[in-house]
Amino acid sequence: MIQPLRKTHRLIFIALAVLLPLLFIAALAVRKPMPVNQPFPAQLLKTK
Amino acid sequence: MSQHYRAISWNPQKRRYDLVMAAGLVSYLALFVGVSAFANPNATIETLLIRAFGTVALLLLHVVLVIGPLCRLQPRFLPLLYNRRHLGVTTFVMGLAHGGFALFQFHALGDANPLVSLLISNRRFDSLANFPFQPLGFIALVILFLMAATSHDFWLKQLSPRAWKRLHMSVYAAYALLIAHVALGVLQAETNPLLAGALATGLAAVLIVHLLAAQREHALDIERREASIESGFVEVCRLGEIPEKRARVVSLNGERIAVFKHDGKLSALSNVCQHQNGPLGEGRIIDGCITCPWHGYQYVPETGASPPPFNERVTTYRVKLVDGVVYVNPEPVAQA
Repeated sequence: MIQPLRKTHRLIFIALAVLLPLLFIAALAVRKPMPVNQPFPAQLLKTK
Repeated sequence: MSQHYRAISWNPQKRRYDLVMAAGLVSYLALFVGVSAFANPNATIETLLIRAFGTVALLLLHVVLVIGPLCRLQPRFLPLLYNRRHLGVTTFVMGLAHGGFALFQFHALGDANPLVSLLISNRRFDSLANFPFQPLGFIALVILFLMAATSHDFWLKQLSPRAWKRLHMSVYAAYALLIAHVALGVLQAETNPLLAGALATGLAAVLIVHLLAAQREHALDIERREASIESGFVEVCRLGEIPEKRARVVSLNGERIAVFKHDGKLSALSNVCQHQNGPLGEGRIIDGCITCPWHGYQYVPETGASPPPFNERVTTYRVKLVDGVVYVNPEPVAQA
């Protein structure tokens, strides 16, 4: 009675085992370096 | 089971289960917010709550997803399965809190409807790095809501266990959407390798235990047995291979049949519990009744009927013993 469900479950996980690691690796590969604030120029910090 | 709505009936096991879950949740949320506030004093409380609820929802979803296959592989995890639905509903509630705070923080302060803003503010479908990841989380939350809303036994009975299970298999779609939501969302901005490592570990755990359990189930399903031409009975195993008050499960004509040995007798029944299609053959005979290992539903071995006042019934089969060998006729005697 539930053999078709087991088969569906197995096929779903075979597909997920291929797709999700690929997606995860691709997402890491396209990461861009986050912009970092440069230190404020020292001369601008000088106050009179 | 009832076709009329009945409130959840509590018992000490359920109370213990939920108490442990609630204590774990509160500890996690407090620890996460406390440590994050200390490590990043500029973060707002909304940001900390969005992250705390998001991570705990994802963690809970991983736990929910590994419990089933772990129980298939190792029965010692069965107590975790007993009240898994409460874990699932809690996962949805945590996800809803995450989504609610995120919707308020990122979409509620403009002049557009927050939900419309969520769905249309980013249309960079052509860029993986800038992909609109928030709608992925929203769709996953809708799926989790449907599952939480239909988690009660009332819906299980109304929809039939088979349709209910099909509906609840959509959790795998929700899981895939949430992995995409996190990988294309927070992982694009947060480069701490711990975050990526944690997600990779969780993903690997879910995939590995599911594939191992599925492989084991598949091996049993494709096991071939030759039927005896004369009588229609099929050799199953030797009598000594069935432990007392327990069963040996075989796959005949695409159906799994559990052959129980009890008090000098043999009984063959469908392996599928009428409640949630749990594996009866992995249960044992308690107080003279076959007891499902998932939620304790019981059946009389000889008739397949639940003891009064319950009215569930599982299919039974003819079984015979010849020279210490157990044979089963795959034609049902009494249909469920």
